[in-house]
Amino acid sequence: MLWLKTIGIVLVMTGFGSWGLNQARRIRSRVEQLAGLRLGLNFLLKEITYIHTPLPQALKRTAQFSAYPVSVIFKEVACCLEEKQGNTASEAWQKGMQKLSFYSELTLADLELLSTLGYQIGMSDAKEQERVFLLVQEELKLLEEEAVKACESGQKLWSYSGFVLGAVVVLLLI
Amino acid sequence: MYRVEGNIISSEIASYLAPPVRQLLLGLDEQYCNRMEEIRLRCQQPLLLKLGDRDFTITPSGRPATDLYSGYIVTREDIQRSLASISDNSLYAFEEEIKRGYITIPGGHRVGLAGQVVVHNGEIKTLKNFSSLCFRIAREVHDCALPLIPYIAPRGVPVSSLLISPPRCGKTTLLRDLARILSTGRANLPARNVTVIDERSELAGCYLGIPQLDVGSRTDVLDGCPKAEGMMMAIRSLSPQVVITDEIGRAEDVAAISECLNAGVVVIASIHARNVKELENRPLMQDLMKMRAFRSGITLSRRIHPGNIEETIRWQA
Repeated sequence: MLWLKTIGIVLVMTGFGSWGLNQARRIRSRVEQLAGLRLGLNFLLKEITYIHTPLPQALKRTAQFSAYPVSVIFKEVACCLEEKQGNTASEAWQKGMQKLSFYSELTLADLELLSTLGYQIGMSDAKEQERVFLLVQEELKLLEEEAVKACESGQKLWSYSGFVLGAVVVLLLI
Repeated sequence: MYRVEGNIISSEIASYLAPPVRQLLLGLDEQYCNRMEEIRLRCQQPLLLKLGDRDFTITPSGRPATDLYSGYIVTREDIQRSLASISDNSLYAFEEEIKRGYITIPGGHRVGLAGQVVVHNGEIKTLKNFSSLCFRIAREVHDCALPLIPYIAPRGVPVSSLLISPPRCGKTTLLRDLARILSTGRANLPARNVTVIDERSELAGCYLGIPQLDVGSRTDVLDGCPKAEGMMMAIRSLSPQVVITDEIGRAEDVAAISECLNAGVVVIASIHARNVKELENRPLMQDLMKMRAFRSGITLSRRIHPGNIEETIRWQA
């Protein structure tokens, strides 16, 4: 009977511990993804304002430049536009965001900020594009700074709290 | 005169139209598509298609109709979606074209734009809040310029010539075919180096700098280039034997034509006027006459068909 209890304790501790570690990883990943997104948007802005690359190609290049999962949005929007099924850049951007939200750790606030870019992307002159991109990048920077603070305090908390919660559950069950 | 081509509307135009308009056009009988010259989308107005001198529309059920108000009403969204497709969702990449009021799409078709014009310091900065689009369908009509050859290249030697007509009489189509014929050559007409100064991207229909329409194998195209500057550039660097350009009409064009003639280059150009008398009353033409710039003038109309030769005139050298 003792061995059964031991296995149970190990399983509960491992389960809760992994959950806590996963939460900590998600907080850290969000910071990396926000930074990656900002870099990606900066790359896309250069393609638009300096080289005047058409949007589908510019997005494709940005996807190659960006790390996963940030690359997902650029790749998805580029594919959607290349299909030439009458989709506007705004609609393609929303599709790309849906995919990004599935694969990334970005929060609703992050995605809402990104969606504002969708209404403008591609459909104005280079100066106007630059203005919108810089505005979104600035806001992303603020979100990133908040995320860094949240990461510093939350990462350790989540790493330990999973195991602590596991231990509490074990004690209650015993 | 016009050669019946494949259905350009479905193969080259439809994909640039908003889905509801595209569906209506794709359901249209091929005989309409083959003769279509313009597709006009005006916000909150019926879809308008131009076949020669006739206007017609398509009803929401897909039937062609001459009563325009029974036609499909174009929405702002149709304009936005079409514009997005035309510009590849990249209006920033077409800033210069938008300033000039049109975008050329693959196939050499030109889409005219109308909307709110933004002016800064007296100069057009851009267009916004687009309200209408006009697709002008470019058609290549090989050999349509052959009847002009005896006047433009008597005894196989091209002379500076002027095509005179009001708009929509086939000047551009004829100039394009002339470029192709002179550049390719024929029996008794040796091939020549031709430079096309295509200020409005209509003659060669360049997309990303590459001619989409056949202007011949010895033809260089200066796309989007102002005519006067283009002629000077061509003389300096492309050593043309013939320069072809559309719609001369500014004072600087006269000086550039004079430079070409002094350099031994033949100029073939078009100009807006109904007849030679009307043309000769224009101050610009009087300057050109004094210079004896052109040797041959051909007046065109669309009385029988577009590009119909009404009158030819030979000016003394």
